[in-house]
This record gives sequence, structure tokens and C-alpha cells, in this order.
Amino acid sequence: MQNLKKHSAERIEHSARIKNRKTSTLIALMFLILLLPINIYSAETVRLKYIQSVYFDEKGVGMKQPEGVACNEKDLLIVGDTGNDRLLRYSYQDRSLKAGTEIRVQQLSNPIRLQINSKGEIFALDGKKRRIIRLNPDGTFKGYVDGEGIPSPSTVVPRSFKIDPQNNIYILDIFSARVLMLNPEGKFQKQVPFPNEYGFFSDLSVDSKGTLFLIDCVKAMVFSAAKDANSFSPLTKNLREYLNFPTSMTMDNRGTLYVVDENGGGIVILGRDGTYLGRQLSLGWNEGLLYYPSQMVINEKGEVFISDRGNSRVQIFTLVK
Amino acid sequence: MRSKLKWLFLSGVIITLLVFPEAYGQNKFKLKPDAKGKLCLSCHDNFKEKLKNQFVHTPVKSGECSECHNPHAAPHGKLLDEDANKICSKCHEGIVPKNPKSVHKVVMEGNCVKCHDPHASNNKFVLLKAGNDLCFECHKDMGNNISKVKFKHNPVEKGCMNCHDPHASDKAKNLLKNDLVALCISCHKPDRPNFIKQHMNYPVAKADCSSCHDTHGSNKAGILYDNVHQPVANKVCTQCHEDPSSSATFKTKRPGYELCRGCHSKMMNETFDKNRVHWPIVDKVGCLNCHEPHASKGKNLLIGDSKSLCGKCHSDTMEHQVKLAEKEKQEKAAAKGRPIKGALTHNPIQEGECSACHLPHASDNAYLMNKPSFYESCGACHDWSKHTTHPMGAKVVDSRNKNIKMDCMSCHRSHGTGYRYMIPYPTVTDLCVQCHKQFKR
Repeated sequence: MQNLKKHSAERIEHSARIKNRKTSTLIALMFLILLLPINIYSAETVRLKYIQSVYFDEKGVGMKQPEGVACNEKDLLIVGDTGNDRLLRYSYQDRSLKAGTEIRVQQLSNPIRLQINSKGEIFALDGKKRRIIRLNPDGTFKGYVDGEGIPSPSTVVPRSFKIDPQNNIYILDIFSARVLMLNPEGKFQKQVPFPNEYGFFSDLSVDSKGTLFLIDCVKAMVFSAAKDANSFSPLTKNLREYLNFPTSMTMDNRGTLYVVDENGGGIVILGRDGTYLGRQLSLGWNEGLLYYPSQMVINEKGEVFISDRGNSRVQIFTLVK
Repeated sequence: MRSKLKWLFLSGVIITLLVFPEAYGQNKFKLKPDAKGKLCLSCHDNFKEKLKNQFVHTPVKSGECSECHNPHAAPHGKLLDEDANKICSKCHEGIVPKNPKSVHKVVMEGNCVKCHDPHASNNKFVLLKAGNDLCFECHKDMGNNISKVKFKHNPVEKGCMNCHDPHASDKAKNLLKNDLVALCISCHKPDRPNFIKQHMNYPVAKADCSSCHDTHGSNKAGILYDNVHQPVANKVCTQCHEDPSSSATFKTKRPGYELCRGCHSKMMNETFDKNRVHWPIVDKVGCLNCHEPHASKGKNLLIGDSKSLCGKCHSDTMEHQVKLAEKEKQEKAAAKGRPIKGALTHNPIQEGECSACHLPHASDNAYLMNKPSFYESCGACHDWSKHTTHPMGAKVVDSRNKNIKMDCMSCHRSHGTGYRYMIPYPTVTDLCVQCHKQFKR
């Protein structure tokens, strides 16, 4: 009798154990199912919401194939009106756009890439002369950024450039296949050679930690080099399945990379580890669409400015996360 | 005792499993000893003639038809026991080396019958044709060129197999039996005085012979490519390179385009005078991105035809063209002779004539276009005033974008879209209602 009782107690205990195991398996499964959409959602979190387009200067003269755009953390928006050989200065705050004053300097034609440093100085890459020009905040000519003390070879052909929050200047020198790092005064600090195997680098970016990123438009790949590294290594695989011909890139304050697909008329979003996070916008003429876009910039407020070259306008979006 | 029995039983099973397939494989159809090939030939009478050929495939010779064919039923054509593209590798598995640098396309596809007769032939290795004739069946252009050239390369005349491996090579690309220079110097000894003199004392055995010589023969003495760069023709290598006695012999005197500018200053100045330069000209490789420095088959010393040359960097555009051409082919086949209205592809780009619209070096116009406006570019071939009565021109604003004027590109995309008339929408109505919204259904 005692044996029977013991046996039935064991059976009850066993079935309870099985029940417990089943419950914990179910809980784990539920947890996984709940986690899955979070992961998917996190990969699709960034979206570009259209705000407005800028077509004209303050006198009503239309932009002509603008390729460059830059903004700062205040309200300054500068457009490189490439086809008209001039810059345009706007003030953009609380979704209100003002002015559109023309900046025309004799030393600058064909501005194709722009940057603004923390002092409000404007930097423009002249696509014709292939030289970087520095302007005072009032738009007057200050000088050229030719790089003082650059080691041999002395010839520099900048395809693009970037300025970090400390005002250091990074030049993508395609002639000597290297990235040059200059201090805010333009004196040479360091250089990192391009990797051995690459197609053609069309833009670079630098994050808050000093990590450098290069976009290869031919191989459709991103390369990176940590701040103290002396070489670049691939960050992504070939991204051709997501884009056609990437020609420029920028970063938001979280380190997310935004790659401009010029031929495909879109923006491809990558995580800081190179993971593909999604594609935004598409090719077209209507507002909110892109036609051979060129440069893209993002400010701290998450406002996005894209020089929509083929549509002869600059479009403003906001990042929606 | 029980465990011993268990072990005995298991060993029995393993031995049976190991031995049975072997025995089964040897005569899987349980054919009578004298049946084999003879049995097949009793029906396949015309095959007897084939067996009279000089070279007979070993299984055929030994009457092992069932090595490849199943006499009863098979899921593959010709009652083959295995997929036709895989069956040969059952016996000939070592044809492709482990880490090949190049593999013949037909081998990769398992299309062995393109070259070999699986049963018998009068050519060695049961080849369908003897010598170069077999290769020129597919490589027709190569065959034509070789037969026409004035200066022939002796080993090519004697046979492609002198330099190439027909299946795969683990040593070099293009199925070469060895690295190109190693192959060349196996005949052309670089230490011979005449060789040294011809190459202006440069240690070319360390260089790439095919950068000057057309290994298959050419119309220029010394089998140089048909178009030779003037300094090479004049044998003035030092015009571009350091002296042969220097420690950096082959180093050019200036980097990138700066070297070419020395002679081609007019062209370079005109290029740099334009608003937009084609960026590869000013990168590290410079002019050599598109031009050969020594000699070339193509005019203007171009590396290849513009389709492959431009496609080297603009592969997205070229891949798109391949897809469009394929779509065109499919739609034409589906139309069964009925005419299809509207072009799907743009002829110049399909033919690789990128320079019909774009300038390769530099331009004052966006996208390196050869004319300032699309009317002019398109108008060079198309009489657009006859093509459409739609208002276009500097005074007609595009209703989708107040800062652009109506031109050909307002409705078409010159590289094609995948839709007829190269418009960005499936139908003309879809396109028109983008602006004429009142007609939208």
C-alpha cells in the first residue's frame, strides 16, 4: 500500500515536472515570438519624412543642378548651386525657410561638395579646379585648403571632404589614393592609404569616434578604418542588390550611415557595423522623390537636406524613428 | 553471451552493406556474362559502325553500356543513369584541379559532349574534331582573326593546346598552362642578345608580355598589337619609364595623368578647362583606366570596346541593359511576328556606343553629356519636332517640378526603364496623368 502511494506520488511529481518543462518551453517560445518583431522593427526604424523643397534664391532665380549642400546645428543651410557657379545661403528653423542669398566668389566655380565648420566657415569643393576653398562666415574668400606639409606625392586631387566637430579636415585624395587628415588650420596630421582592392571611392565620412568610412561606387561597398588604424578594411559586402551607384554618404548622430544611390534615386541605410537597415525614397520628379541626387546632410535635430541634382532643387526631410 | 551475439549480428549487417553495393555495382542488372554490349547491339544495329572508329570510349569498348545507361528506365534523356551534365564526372572527377584559377565554361557546365563524343571518334581523346578546328567551332572570331593576321605566332598555328589546358588551369587565368610570362620565356629566352636589344635592355621577363604583344598573332611585326603607342613604336621607353639601369626600372617618370600630360597637353588642357571631368582621369591610375600604355587592339589604345570598358565601372547600367535585351527577346518571341510598338531599349547603349551621348573625358554639361540640352543630344538622332507635338522647351515648365522645363527626359529615360517607349510607367496613360491629373481615372 505504501509502495503504491509512493509510486503514485512519484507519478504526480513526474507529470508536474513535465508540465513545468512544457510551460517554460511555451514561455520561452512566446518570448522569442515577442522579440522577433522588435528585431524586425529595429531594422526598419529609420524613415525619411518629406517636409519641403527649395527651388529658388531670394530673387526667384532657380537653382541649376545643385550638387552640394551643408547645414550647421543652428539654422544655416548652404546650397552649392553647381550649374550657376554659386552658393546660396538660407536660414532654416522650425520648418521655416528664409532668404536664399547668393554667395558668389571669383575663386569658386562648380561647387560640388560643401561643409560648414563650428565657426560658421564655409568650405566648398570646386569641381572644375578640384580644389577646396574656405570662405568666412560672411561668404568672403578666406583661402584654399591645399594641405600644408603633405608628404610625397605632393599632388592632391580631392574628390570629396568632410569636417569633424573639432574642425579637423578629412580629404579623399583620389590621385594619391589616400585619406588626408588636416588640422583646422589645414596642416597635415596623418594619412591613411586606400585599401589594395577597390573600384573607385567617391565619398568619405567620419563618425564621432574618429572612424573613417569610404564608399566605393564601383564595387558598391563601404570600407572603414578605426581612428588609430593605418589601413582600411571592408565594412560591408557588395551592396549591389540594394543600390545601383552610390556616390555619397553621411551619418546621423547615432552613427547610422546613409548612402546616396545616385543612379537609383534612393537612400540606403546601414548600421554602423555595415548591416543593411533599409532603403528610403525612390526615383521621380514629384516632391519627395529624387532624380540623380548628389550630397546629403543631417543635423542634430534629425533634419535631412538632399541636393536633388536632376530635379534642380534641394529637398528637406526629417528622420522618423 | 548476449552482447557477443549482438556484435556478431551488427558486423554481419555492416559487411553485407559494404559488400553488396560493390557486387551490385559490378553487375547491377544481373546481365548474363555474354550479354553486356552484345545484347545492346542486337537492337542498336547502327552503333556497330560507330565502334569501327579509331578511338573508342573505354566503357563502350568493354561493352559496359550500363555504366552510363539504364537498360530499363531512367529519369534522364537517352536512358542516362545520371544527369547528362554530371555523368562524366562519375569517372573523370579529376578533370578540374582543386583550386583552379580558370575553368573552361563548357567544363563548368558539364557540357563535355560539346568537345567529346561519348562513344567513339576518329580523333584522339574521342574529340569531335581534330586540332584547332574544334576550338574555333565556338571561338569563331578568334579563328577568323588568326587565319587573317599577317604575322602569325607559330605555337598558335600548331595548336591551341600548346599554351592552353582545355579543361581548367590551376596556374593561370584564360586556361593557360602556366603564368603567361613563364609560358613565353619557355620559348623566347630573355638572356639572348637579340631579345635584350629588341626590348631596349628592360628586364621584360618580369613584366606582362601581353601588354604589347598579341599572343595570337597580329598585323604588326613582332606580333605587337595593331595600334602601338608612338613611344613604343619609336622604341623610346625612357620617354615614360625610368632608365633600365635604374633600381625602379619600370617606374613611370610622373604619376597618373601627369605623365600623359607631357605629350598630350592640348587634350589634357581642354579636358581640365571643362566644368566636369570624368573622375577616373584624375585618380591614381588616370588615363590607364581606359587606355593601354603600350599597344592595343582597339583604336585610340582603348582597353576594350566601350561596352565592356564603360561597364567596368558602370556595371549597374550595363546589367540593366542585359536585362532589357532579354525582356525584348522574350516579348518578341511571345508576339509571334506581330509588330510591337515602342522601343524597350536604346540602340546606342545596347551597342556600347556610350559616346553617342556622353563625352568620355570631360564636359561642361551635367552627366558628361555631349550637348548642353537634351533636345540637342536626342535631336542628333531623333527629329523630336516630328516625334511629338507636346510642348517642350525653355518656356514650358514641368508641372511636377516648377524649376525644370519640359524636355525629352521629362517623359523618357535614355537608358530604358523596362517599359515600352522607355517611359517610367507601364502605359502611356499612366505617364500622361502624372501632369494631366484631370484625366486620372
